[in-house]
Amino acid sequence: MTLSERMLKIDRRIIFLVIGLCTLLPLLYPVGLPIKISPEVRSIYDYIESLPERSVFLLSIDFDPASKPELHPQAIALLRHAFRKNLRVVAMTLWVSGTGMADQLLTQVAKEMGKEDGKDYVFLGWSSGGTAVIINMGQDLYKAFPSDYGGKATKGIPVLEGVLSLKDVAYAISLGAGNPGVEAWYVFGKDKYKFELGGGCTGVIAPGLYPLLRSGQINGLIGGLRGAAEYESLVGHKGRAVAGMDAQSATHFAIIVLVAMCNLFYFSLRQQQGRSRELPVKRGH
Amino acid sequence: MDATTLGAWVATGLTLFIFSFLYKDNPLFKLAEHLYVGVSLGYHIVKIFDSVVVNLIYKPIVEQGEIALLIPVAIGFLMLTRYVPKAAWMSRYAFAFIVGVGSGLAIPRTISSFILKQIEDTVRPLVSMAGGDGLTFSMNLLNPASNLNAIIILIGVSSVLFYFFFSIEHSGPGKVVARTGIVFLMIAFGAAFGYTVMARMSLLIGRLTDLIEFSDASYGRPTLWLAIATIGALFLLGRRSSSSPPQSE
Amino acid sequence: MIFLRRRLPLLITMITGLLFAGQYYVPHPSSELLLTSATKWLQIIGGFALVLGITSLFHQHAVKIRRQEAGWGYSFVLYAGVFVTVAAGIFARGKESFEGAMTGFGWVYSFMLVPLQGTMFAILAFFIASAAYRSFRARSREAAVLLVAAVIVMMGRVPLGEYLMPLSGDVSQWILNVLNASVRRAILIGVSLGAIALSLKIIFGVERSYLGGGKE
Repeated sequence: MTLSERMLKIDRRIIFLVIGLCTLLPLLYPVGLPIKISPEVRSIYDYIESLPERSVFLLSIDFDPASKPELHPQAIALLRHAFRKNLRVVAMTLWVSGTGMADQLLTQVAKEMGKEDGKDYVFLGWSSGGTAVIINMGQDLYKAFPSDYGGKATKGIPVLEGVLSLKDVAYAISLGAGNPGVEAWYVFGKDKYKFELGGGCTGVIAPGLYPLLRSGQINGLIGGLRGAAEYESLVGHKGRAVAGMDAQSATHFAIIVLVAMCNLFYFSLRQQQGRSRELPVKRGH
Repeated sequence: MDATTLGAWVATGLTLFIFSFLYKDNPLFKLAEHLYVGVSLGYHIVKIFDSVVVNLIYKPIVEQGEIALLIPVAIGFLMLTRYVPKAAWMSRYAFAFIVGVGSGLAIPRTISSFILKQIEDTVRPLVSMAGGDGLTFSMNLLNPASNLNAIIILIGVSSVLFYFFFSIEHSGPGKVVARTGIVFLMIAFGAAFGYTVMARMSLLIGRLTDLIEFSDASYGRPTLWLAIATIGALFLLGRRSSSSPPQSE
Repeated sequence: MIFLRRRLPLLITMITGLLFAGQYYVPHPSSELLLTSATKWLQIIGGFALVLGITSLFHQHAVKIRRQEAGWGYSFVLYAGVFVTVAAGIFARGKESFEGAMTGFGWVYSFMLVPLQGTMFAILAFFIASAAYRSFRARSREAAVLLVAAVIVMMGRVPLGEYLMPLSGDVSQWILNVLNASVRRAILIGVSLGAIALSLKIIFGVERSYLGGGKE
């Protein structure tokens, strides 16, 4: 077997080891390269900055532990920003396995920023039905969530004063990992109830949300870990997302090098096979 | 040992068991995999009981007297008859209701959001070129809202839509349009691949960050000891499987 | 019997489908009340649909244990996981934390479910790298275009790429916001048209596979 054939058939565990090292080493020895802020992340930051105090900010934590590394830092950065601006935060989730995570992160950031449950924020929890929950919240919030996650009746909670439905929400952001996510919040929410909507999502579904960004159906998009790192930089509180950017750089370059090598060996093999096919014809003359 | 330290050891162990699959499929991985399905199922059951049965059914009917909610409960029970062969036909009513309402709700909203609004946004920037004082044309490639980019978007949308229209033959001028569509599609898929790589790597970065956090001495260095234990177990399992086949023959 | 088993369900689908499609265009308060009630009902029925999924998984593993198929011991691990989680959930009344302190249920969630689910998806990173190495070859002109676009976006979305080649950041932004957006828009329009066609087929009874449950 030629070198090209051997390299193309290499044991995949060697590739696993390369990726593992490229991820682990930058996490242990970070470099800290500067992060450029993209317009789609900045527009969400600017919009929240422009909201008056005590505006109602709805954060829908629509992801499960599988997408935690990408969306958890986004949620934390957004909550820090919203609490810093003294907005009234209404949090909820449409994904059942994300409930515990949402409860824990909201409590953690609220405690850090000195905010009080019921007065400054409320966690509505999870309700089954997916898109039906969105429509129901748009019709009557108290019918969709008769009680908050702790079991307290939602009617009469100070933070929800004056809020009857989604029409009274100043800004909603859905951090989505699939369906129901950002698209469902637009189709079943903003389309009829006309609140401003922003989106945060995983890297897998981010390219699919650009048409909505371009048409203004969402006013900003925080895409993946990179988006979370940008938002952390804007808020001025660097966390896990910024810390992970060096490892992200290393792994991307590892993949680029692997793909380049694979193509190099492939073309060299094709050339060798082309030459070996020519030889018998020459000998015949 | 307090709950958090025990939790750190359990979490690290389970993480390493699943990572052991990268070496090869083994009993440790199968154990973790089945445990994952079991715990996930258990969590779903608890949440359904807490959020749906207690908060959506029991409290509104018993404490607030909304008797009408017994109808969806009845429909829900009809759905469960799917598992009783003789009565399975009754579940059709439940599915008919859900599918009917779901389709009815989705149709006008999808038309408004994903068809009309998207087409409007493709065409409107071109209309805005003809302003009050004549025709203007902005050419900044870096600004997605510029007129040049609006034309590129129009070409992209129409050529890709034409490419997927398989009812007519892609020949002559149609072939040029379809090929343009293919080029646009390939670029978009390339961008999607790049973003997917970013997403997958981010998930790995998250897990390794947790493992590094749990390698701290305050937890008793679970990452180090459990990594040694896992590698040792894999080695022993490998030796056992390589020595047992001759006996079964 | 044919009416009860086949015609009536299809009639229900048609009536509810047309009713709620029309509801979108009627702003009258009674139409809004109809929408609120219907979505409330859907929330409750959605919970039962989840129960359906769970019981099917239970049944699958119960059969495996009964027939003692290969690997049936692991099914016991599965049931143990369910039992421990549900017991913890009942003890903690379904809550992960109580007055700031983590409950046993919260412990199972944070130290078992989160790491297990997270790692299951994290190992995909290794497989995408291995798959890229084995099959991402520029076999044709179109594949080469795909490859170049992927490399530009991969470089442009990380700080190192923008540091080494600032143009990659701007070009990848242009690719995402203009080229990618136009393609995704076309796909969105096409898929939505298809979904509406399917919904109309279901409402008018042309498509009946969703009914299931029985021979007719």
